[in-house]
Amino acid sequence: MPRILSQVLKNLLRKPATVKYPYVRVKPPKGYRGAPVIDKEKCIRCWLCIRACPDRAISVNKETKKPSIWHGRCTFCGECAEVCPTRAITMTEDFELATYDIQRARSE
Amino acid sequence: MTFVVPIGPQHPALKEPEFFRFEVRGEEIVDVDIHLGYAHRGIEEAFSRRNYKHNIYLSERICGICNVVHSTTYCQAVEQLAGVEPPERAKYIRAIIMELERIHSHLLWLGIAAHQIGFNTLFMLAWRDREYVMDLREMISGGRVHSATNTIGGVRRDVKIEHVPTFLRGLEKLEQSTNYYINLFKSDRTILARCTNLGVLSKEDAIKFCTVGPTARASGLKTDIRRDDPYGAYDALSFDVAIERDGDVWAKGMVRLREILESIQIVRQALKEMPGGPIRIRVGLQIPPNETIERTEAPRGELLYYIRSNGTEIPERVRVRTPTYGNFASMKSMFVGGTIAEIPIVIWGIDPCFACNDRVTLVDSRTGKTRIASFDELRRWRK
Repeated sequence: MPRILSQVLKNLLRKPATVKYPYVRVKPPKGYRGAPVIDKEKCIRCWLCIRACPDRAISVNKETKKPSIWHGRCTFCGECAEVCPTRAITMTEDFELATYDIQRARSE
Repeated sequence: MTFVVPIGPQHPALKEPEFFRFEVRGEEIVDVDIHLGYAHRGIEEAFSRRNYKHNIYLSERICGICNVVHSTTYCQAVEQLAGVEPPERAKYIRAIIMELERIHSHLLWLGIAAHQIGFNTLFMLAWRDREYVMDLREMISGGRVHSATNTIGGVRRDVKIEHVPTFLRGLEKLEQSTNYYINLFKSDRTILARCTNLGVLSKEDAIKFCTVGPTARASGLKTDIRRDDPYGAYDALSFDVAIERDGDVWAKGMVRLREILESIQIVRQALKEMPGGPIRIRVGLQIPPNETIERTEAPRGELLYYIRSNGTEIPERVRVRTPTYGNFASMKSMFVGGTIAEIPIVIWGIDPCFACNDRVTLVDSRTGKTRIASFDELRRWRK
């Protein structure tokens, strides 16, 4: 019984272990592999990212001749960002990617 | 007069689909059939359609909980085929991430085991402390679960010097809470009443059924691939193999909790002794025809990869034998003689991971009647 009382008091004074997520956001650590984005200006169309992607999430837009990443298929491994010779692809810290609109599931 | 109690494919013990067919006399279990195959995803076939580099990420997806050990085993096997040795620093980083994975897997086991015996407070506490190790993994690899750190010929990310203090603080917290759980496991009445003398696997049966990992160590078998067949940095690291003699669910839990302490020591040691130097070397993907076997100690036991290459960028055959598969045969001797109420915790006692297991079908039947029925079901599946 005394053991329980001390635990109860400790738990009353302790902060909660969880955060109220949509209102309080925990920032991911540095180097987190979030949604990849492509800088179209830097892209030199070498298509190394397409070869490196393990799940064929990167495709080429026929009109603009630039690659775009389908986040619905991306596994966020970061191989494309690693292989890009001009660092046009970077992994952002964005992880809230759920959407109803299929156009928004694709990187611009 | 016996009755048949079908449990599954959707069942109360686990969140994964599996079919158990228990034959009961009153409350007592007299026979058990296990049918696997509900989570079959055709991964081994998919392996032989992608190149070696893409397959790293496929092997990580065999099992979410033990993804690093899958990709490490795969990469070590491919390195063997290519005849290259990864740099020393890469081996240490792999060991650190694998041990962090073992800690989080065992804490996850503890949480679900507590949930199975109706002790939800312990479930919440164990999963709260699991967040510390998940945060460390996120910091070191950039992903909470899928680390994507391994690559053929080393690792992709270095451990930075500014990470080390955070690491040591996190390990301190984990050590404190693990010691608390060990005391709890030894003294709490609920745990002792629900876990001791349940699902006992004797040492003879553990040898006979070729059990692996914590299930074997809980029965007094001193087997650990890290010690018996050292890979990576493990021959330079010193650690004890935790064993218990009872073979019941309590012993399985105790082995896992003591392994968490060992893993914390290994991570500390690896951080201290880690040599400098490069973390990866370039490996050409045209791998000459050969075949190899690589085995490692996953959180659940021995994990084995067989890879056959044929001179191209794509492996000809990849075969994976996961630890859960090695432990399934022992399930019958754990169940027979027990009661229905202990089914969930005994199933969870071997820490089964069906998703990583479902590339095979195993039918274990004793009486003629059950054999015919199971064959009929098998035939229906094949259509």
